Amino acid sequence: MLKKIFSFLFIICLFISSCDPKSTDSSPEIWEQKSEMLTNWVDNFISPSYGNLLAKLDVLQQSGNTFSASVNQQNLENLRSSFVDAYLSWQYVEMFNIGPAEESYFNSRMNVFPTTVARIELNVENGNTDFNNTNNLPAQGFPALDYLLYGIEDSDDLIVLKYNTEQNYLSYLTEVIDQMLQNTYPIVEEWGTYRNTFVNSVENTATSSVNKMTNDFIYYYEKGFRANKFGIPAGVFSGTALPEKVEGYYNKNISKQLALEAFQAITTFYNGNGGVSLSQYIDDVATEGYSDLSTDVLVQFDITEELINGLDNNFYNQILTDKIKFLETYDAIQQGTILLKTDMLSVLQIATDYVDADGD
Amino acid sequence: MNSKINNYLNSHTNSSPLAVFRIGFGLMMLYSIFRFWYKGWIDTLYIEPQFHFKYYGFEWVRDLGDYTYLIFIICIVSSIFITIGFKYRLSIIFFFLSFTYIELIDKTTYLNHYYFISSLSFLMIFLPANAYFSVDNIFRKISYKQIPKWTIDCIKLLLSIVYFYSGLAKINSDWLLNAMPLKLWLPSKYDLPLIGETFMQQNWVHHFMSWGGMFYDLLIPFLLLYKKTRIIGFILVVFFHLFTGVLFPIGMFPYIMIIGSLVFFDSSVHQKIIDIIKKIIRPIRKNIKLNNKIIKENLILRNKKFVLSIVSLFFIIQLFLPFRYLLYPSELFWSEEGYRFSWRVMLVEKIGYTTFKIKDQKTGSYFYVNNEDFLTPFQEKQMSFQPDFILEYAHYLGDYYTSKGYLNVAVYADSYVSLNGRSNQRFVNEKVDLYKEKESFKYKTWIIPIDDEIKGF
Repeated sequence: MLKKIFSFLFIICLFISSCDPKSTDSSPEIWEQKSEMLTNWVDNFISPSYGNLLAKLDVLQQSGNTFSASVNQQNLENLRSSFVDAYLSWQYVEMFNIGPAEESYFNSRMNVFPTTVARIELNVENGNTDFNNTNNLPAQGFPALDYLLYGIEDSDDLIVLKYNTEQNYLSYLTEVIDQMLQNTYPIVEEWGTYRNTFVNSVENTATSSVNKMTNDFIYYYEKGFRANKFGIPAGVFSGTALPEKVEGYYNKNISKQLALEAFQAITTFYNGNGGVSLSQYIDDVATEGYSDLSTDVLVQFDITEELINGLDNNFYNQILTDKIKFLETYDAIQQGTILLKTDMLSVLQIATDYVDADGD
Repeated sequence: MNSKINNYLNSHTNSSPLAVFRIGFGLMMLYSIFRFWYKGWIDTLYIEPQFHFKYYGFEWVRDLGDYTYLIFIICIVSSIFITIGFKYRLSIIFFFLSFTYIELIDKTTYLNHYYFISSLSFLMIFLPANAYFSVDNIFRKISYKQIPKWTIDCIKLLLSIVYFYSGLAKINSDWLLNAMPLKLWLPSKYDLPLIGETFMQQNWVHHFMSWGGMFYDLLIPFLLLYKKTRIIGFILVVFFHLFTGVLFPIGMFPYIMIIGSLVFFDSSVHQKIIDIIKKIIRPIRKNIKLNNKIIKENLILRNKKFVLSIVSLFFIIQLFLPFRYLLYPSELFWSEEGYRFSWRVMLVEKIGYTTFKIKDQKTGSYFYVNNEDFLTPFQEKQMSFQPDFILEYAHYLGDYYTSKGYLNVAVYADSYVSLNGRSNQRFVNEKVDLYKEKESFKYKTWIIPIDDEIKGF
């Protein structure tokens, strides 16, 4: 009798172990569709966005060199316009904090704002800046350039004068730009090999590409977009408004444009831009209660975009003149967060990468 | 009637099933705790968090910082002693206390199977699990062939309650009519070979597994109790638990239930298991002098009356506690009042998003809290859909900001929850200052009722 039980146990164990998710060999459809989605993400979003960023950073570097060679108002204008172009292209990259970017703290090196002016001034004075030092994270990248190109003096004439007379500033400016390129090159290169890993990781585990990218997308929407661009400057987390914490603060005319560009990146990523992405994925697996979810999200996105469009070009002014309007926009973004973090997570059954414990 | 009960209480049975159960329990616990340790969970779940969610009435239970590891060491040592049956009574008491203490540190980690382990180890304090095949036998020079029948039956009863009650809980409209939450969970297992993209995607499979799961839970105690169906029952147990073990991240639970269900088998089966163990440990046994051991027939319990009244009280609580939810007017799955300690296993897919507003009541100025400043991601996830967590955390925040010098602090929750495939709905009345609400067993009026009705148990 005992023997019988154990042989039965053995057979059942064999059967079950053959169901182990790690042993590969699987069939079509869902697998393929996930793979199609990942391919769409890499080939139509991640790669082109990085490519574009790199191209824009190249132009920025050239403009920087031209400016260094002859510091004048026209070359400053030229450099600024390259900066704005590059900053806009960055908005399509920030959400892809995955793989090589995650490993090298790419986002923290490129766009921690507000920038620490005191630290920049210190670095300018000392020279030989170690950009790997964590204290220097808010003293490099786009926010640092924003300060260096628009904020170090009160007028353009004075800025040009400063770069003409104080060599330290000019070298720091060049170093910051060079560093940004140095940050970006290896990531673009590593994506070449990482692409395969990424596209083939279609299973439903905490570390699979589908789950990590979806989690990253939500994280970016909630933190990078909602909190950093709107919540923090509006004072949502502090009580009093902190308008000087808007993105592109020194430029004074760019925060809305950056936010709109970032939102464009969010919506096109969500709806896939013709390819398979989250909205399609939701539709494919939606149970009855969630049948309208994918469009509900899009509707909420539309509402949000319209509200952002209605804001002042400079969020700093908007917060000072009409904070209510700014907070209304924040609330619309927040409604989107609720949809993504409750209904979407529920229907997609994304394994969270940050919770490690048994369930029952 | 009385004499029947007395006859039953005085009847004896072979002691080997309880001995095997003790060994199985000890080994499973030993492995579970090592696994828990190895995964780093002692640190991430108990030491790292700056704040712990407490069970009502057990707020005094604290983690001991790095010394928390000591409690786990007590657990490990007592598991070893339980396995070999050395100082059994003391060991099982230490095990029960240390294990339960760990569970009480933070209710974020609540699992029905942890509660099962606590309940079972409490029950085992009163059972003579060292009567046979134990180190205690060697030291006391006495071993018992027969023990009171009820001491084995009460383990069967506890297991039966676990199964039957979790079956009862599945009799509800979400589970049976909508196949929720399996309809959400199973399709996401598309990465299982063979069945992932085929069976797991089928509507009929979701319904079949819902109904099957309910019947399984309700019937398995009876299948195991009756000799004729016992083998088929046990095969079902093994299949069901291993299958759910593959499908869901439920850790050790399947294995504990499989090993536990062996207790339903006749003593002959257990005697054979013991013979196998004897063979394995022969090299050790050779060196032990077993000469003076007296083998006695019947074990007579000391303090029988006391033990029986404790055990009876234990089972009365076990039988009635799961029905306490009937005292609340709210929807059980939504408000979770009376949800825990009731063998409601895998019944809900619930996900929430809850943020807190700290407001100065006088000036009206307010700000929102960044949950990650205070909670681990796991705590935040659990807090976001459980009202008692939300209230406790609101008080923590209120105290925190008051101590930081903020005046007239009021705490409001902006909370949205999605339950079993329904789109999200506001969960907490956003106009209620939670800092003024007190935790109690009373109905929480600040939970906004769900916009739907879930019929059933």
